[in-house]
Amino acid sequence: MSISRGAGTIFGLSTGRGRSAVAVVRISGYNAQTALQKMTNRDDFPPRQMAFVNILHPLKKTLIDKGMIVYFPGPKSFTGEDCCEFHIHGGKAVISSVLESLATIPDFRPAEAGEFTRRAFLNNKLDLTKVEGLADLLNAETESQRKQALRQVGGDLELLYKNWRRQILKSIANVEAFIDFAEDENISSTAIQEVEEIVKKLIYEIKNHLSDNRRGERLRDGVHVAIVGEPNVGKSSLMNILCQRQAAIVSPVAGTTRDVLETTIDIGGYPMILCDTAGIRRTTDDVEQEGVNRAKKRAENADLVILVKDASKVDAPESSNIDHFLKGWDEDVLTVWNKIDLVKEKTYDGVSLSCTTKAGLTGFLSELTKKIANLCADPESESPVLTKARHRIELTRCVENLLEYLNFSKNDSDLVISAHKLRTAVKHMGSITGEIYADGILDVIFSDFCIGK
Amino acid sequence: MRSLSRFLLQGRFLSRSSGHYDVIVVGGGHAGTEASAAAARMGCNTLLLTHKIETLGEMSCNPSFGGIGKGHLMKEVDALDGICGRICDISGIHYKVLNKRKGPAVWGYRAQIDRKLYKKHLQEELINKTKNLDILPASVEDLIVSGQGEDRSCEGVVLANGDIIRSKCVVITTGTFLNGKINIGLETRPAGRFGDEPAIALATTLDRIGFKLGRLKTGTPPRIDGSTVDFSVCETHFPDNPSLPFSFMSNDVWIESGKQVPCFLIRTNPNVDAIIKESLHLNRHVKEEITGPRYCPSIESKVLRFGGRDHQVWLEPEGLDTNVIYPNGLSCTMPEEIQLNMLRQIRGLERCDMVRPGYGVEYDYIDPREVKPTLETKRVANLYFAGQINGTTGYEEAAAQGIIAGINAGGKVKGRDEFTVSRAEGYIGVLIDDLTTLGTNEPYRMFTSRAEFRLSLRPDNADLRLTAKGFQYGCVSSERYQRLLEDEKKLNEGIELMESVILPKSIWSKLPHAADARTHVNRSAFHLLRCRFQKEAELISVKDLLSICPNTFDSVAEDTRLATRIQIEAMYREFALAEMAEIQEVMKYEQLRLPEDINYSSNRLNLSNEEKERLASSKPQTIAAASRIPGVTASAILQLLRYVKRRDITLI
Repeated sequence: MSISRGAGTIFGLSTGRGRSAVAVVRISGYNAQTALQKMTNRDDFPPRQMAFVNILHPLKKTLIDKGMIVYFPGPKSFTGEDCCEFHIHGGKAVISSVLESLATIPDFRPAEAGEFTRRAFLNNKLDLTKVEGLADLLNAETESQRKQALRQVGGDLELLYKNWRRQILKSIANVEAFIDFAEDENISSTAIQEVEEIVKKLIYEIKNHLSDNRRGERLRDGVHVAIVGEPNVGKSSLMNILCQRQAAIVSPVAGTTRDVLETTIDIGGYPMILCDTAGIRRTTDDVEQEGVNRAKKRAENADLVILVKDASKVDAPESSNIDHFLKGWDEDVLTVWNKIDLVKEKTYDGVSLSCTTKAGLTGFLSELTKKIANLCADPESESPVLTKARHRIELTRCVENLLEYLNFSKNDSDLVISAHKLRTAVKHMGSITGEIYADGILDVIFSDFCIGK
Repeated sequence: MRSLSRFLLQGRFLSRSSGHYDVIVVGGGHAGTEASAAAARMGCNTLLLTHKIETLGEMSCNPSFGGIGKGHLMKEVDALDGICGRICDISGIHYKVLNKRKGPAVWGYRAQIDRKLYKKHLQEELINKTKNLDILPASVEDLIVSGQGEDRSCEGVVLANGDIIRSKCVVITTGTFLNGKINIGLETRPAGRFGDEPAIALATTLDRIGFKLGRLKTGTPPRIDGSTVDFSVCETHFPDNPSLPFSFMSNDVWIESGKQVPCFLIRTNPNVDAIIKESLHLNRHVKEEITGPRYCPSIESKVLRFGGRDHQVWLEPEGLDTNVIYPNGLSCTMPEEIQLNMLRQIRGLERCDMVRPGYGVEYDYIDPREVKPTLETKRVANLYFAGQINGTTGYEEAAAQGIIAGINAGGKVKGRDEFTVSRAEGYIGVLIDDLTTLGTNEPYRMFTSRAEFRLSLRPDNADLRLTAKGFQYGCVSSERYQRLLEDEKKLNEGIELMESVILPKSIWSKLPHAADARTHVNRSAFHLLRCRFQKEAELISVKDLLSICPNTFDSVAEDTRLATRIQIEAMYREFALAEMAEIQEVMKYEQLRLPEDINYSSNRLNLSNEEKERLASSKPQTIAAASRIPGVTASAILQLLRYVKRRDITLI
């Protein structure tokens, strides 16, 4: 967590995920008005009045969308700073291009998790007597957003970004070692040459990545739901009922599902990405164990977990494995008892159904819809469109700074300024991976160089 | 008061009941001397207690001051009217600014210092030139602490002879003396420094009060008789000509470059490695599992960690009238005769004599999270810790803490608010914030890489950053403040002048430089100062501009110091402005104080167990400090903000 990036003007999508006709992009900061000036063909913005305008790209002046704008000069605004809003069409393409347009304005940057709220707090804009429930909101805004953003890009990309960040850190360590120790100690200037090579390679890789729009950006909008449970409680059957097709292989043999199956469906009008997972139990089978690991990982990353339990075994001493795993997740878990057709007397609490007879299905669906509606209505959870735009912006700025580093070092100019470019580059990469604070530089230095007179 | 100083110095008699001071400083090293001088400047009746008057201002280890990052600290101590910079300007024998090629933001002002001159000038300064300061040779046995639990307060000290001296504040700066032990070979004995007693009773007292103590180690190299060294085979390094002073108050250093002495560079070889490895079983210090400094390692640890290379050794003279040489880089703790054998393996030292063996020191330090950014302890009010006792290493780190503790003790006596330096204002702030927020498990040394606002926190502008602030608080003399006002006026006028001369590219291009190839905009002379010549890549200086605008800049060009300052401003202007917004943001969060009685386990704060633990052990004083603790999330910071804001409202 760093607050040193706190300056500048921030923007973010303030409408939630899911389909919507209108999306609202909110901007806050000392030069918020610049966005209006550069992205509309108007020059006066009466406070707190909506205006219908053509929304233009700030540099190319091409038309992006037609929509409404409104300007709130501080301190009479949500954050207390100058704010403005773009009310635009809710399509992904429009939202992306508005966000990417904003990023081209100097000193504008995507808001970090919780940043609008933080600014509002600082300026005494939130009525504190009414914010007992704010804790939940704050958590939704921050931790879950980070989790979500990384899940959206997928594990491989996360590794890629982290690896890039490590390489920039290594470069910084070399340069910093050269600054803090070189002259009368044992750091040779090959350390600096090594940096040049790393940086050139990074620029090449990141640029390639940015120009390749297909790879790694299989973003799908929707609430992620994972079906978990012990083996053979009917997870795949439930999946099939929800999909209304045979997406998963169902068999009475425990442990049939070994990988994660995923499908996108619509529940009560809300998009949902549903996945079926391997039954969680202790196992000695390597393949099954891998399935169990994946299931757990999937559950950790999901917005909602459907925990399926066998109603016919309600009295059996549960191997506490799964309950232990889900301990403390309360809000994020919907427990459902399956196989009620096999039970004579009801001995369980909560939602129940039979995948065989379809009894209880309606009740279950309405419960599920309620949960998902709540998740979708949460205005603070981040849409993948925004994630994608945000990542692109950070990567682009990272590359810009790496290029400037090369420029500065080529001209043999001030090494402190070139080092500053690397420090800025790593901040941009870190804001994707959530590692904003660049600590550990000294550790890298001491492990790589023999320092000290 | 001056007569009283002499009176006390003669060590005659101190009445058991009459001693009463505003501030007592315990320890006469670099933290203690700055602390006592600062408290005295604040107008407080101050007493400095030290084991021996002769060792006041002793340079216990290397015969040098400053360096990269450390020079920054000295400039800042000087900007607050501290003494070490001025004393170095009249005691140095080899002045050299390190990092000259890497940009003025990281220039490392450094000098070899004549030990005797330093002590002499420093003692003269404290004994004869510092008002309000008494000095007494005595060792402190105990602290007088009144009150219970949370409300404890320090009210004076008890000396070894039983005398009680009362005071409103006490600053402890005992360096490596707390439970100090020195190691040579397999031998170990209690000592704070070669030939000096350790402070054992005081360590017991601090332990009893409940301070969290840890143990660190460090070392010093053997000393060599310079008349037995063959310098003809060493690489000779000369001082800067002209030599630049440390202090903003000094126009020059006391000795011209030609009269200064050189340093020499030599290298170790595989024979040295072999001797170290063969004698490990005789080397107690190396085996101790106590953390030493990674950046100032012993030759043993360099050989063990990075074997098979040669290592640099600098031969540094210890003074003008002595032959003693300090071999920087050869800190070691093996038995004496093996040390000599090792030295004689090195080219240039084949026939050398050893004046004194190297040795290792182990000592207690206090977890610096026990102190606030003012360096007052959290457990006991009116008690301050400064210097190596807080887990740092180096004279400059000690001096920087000393001056802050002294100023704050003085401020407390005068009923003033706290005096702190933010990490956005100076390296002193970075140092103290790192220590008090994160703690340390190795001797902490300053590096420029620790400062996030390095382009703004430069050695050249320490006076602009801190002197006025210090003057307003009362720790800076009006003489220095006047000097600042003059310098600042000249600087601003000079920049204005340079900015007012705007010429087309066709004229500036008579100075063949690389920048701005694409634009045809008219540029100011100020802008030109950050451009470089095409060929040697040297910066275009004010003098160079005279060829294009004769006479216009004469007034600036004649004043070399001013011309350099203007040039540095030109180089960093753009970046410093960009940092400004961030700096203001950080300072905003630094003003959001976390109450001392905050209960991190409260369910209302809704923190994770890890966060609770980390926040509770560090007890950050501000939201900004909390945000720098690893593992504290954005969400937790928002919770804390909410807590602080709500509390502010209820308080109103």
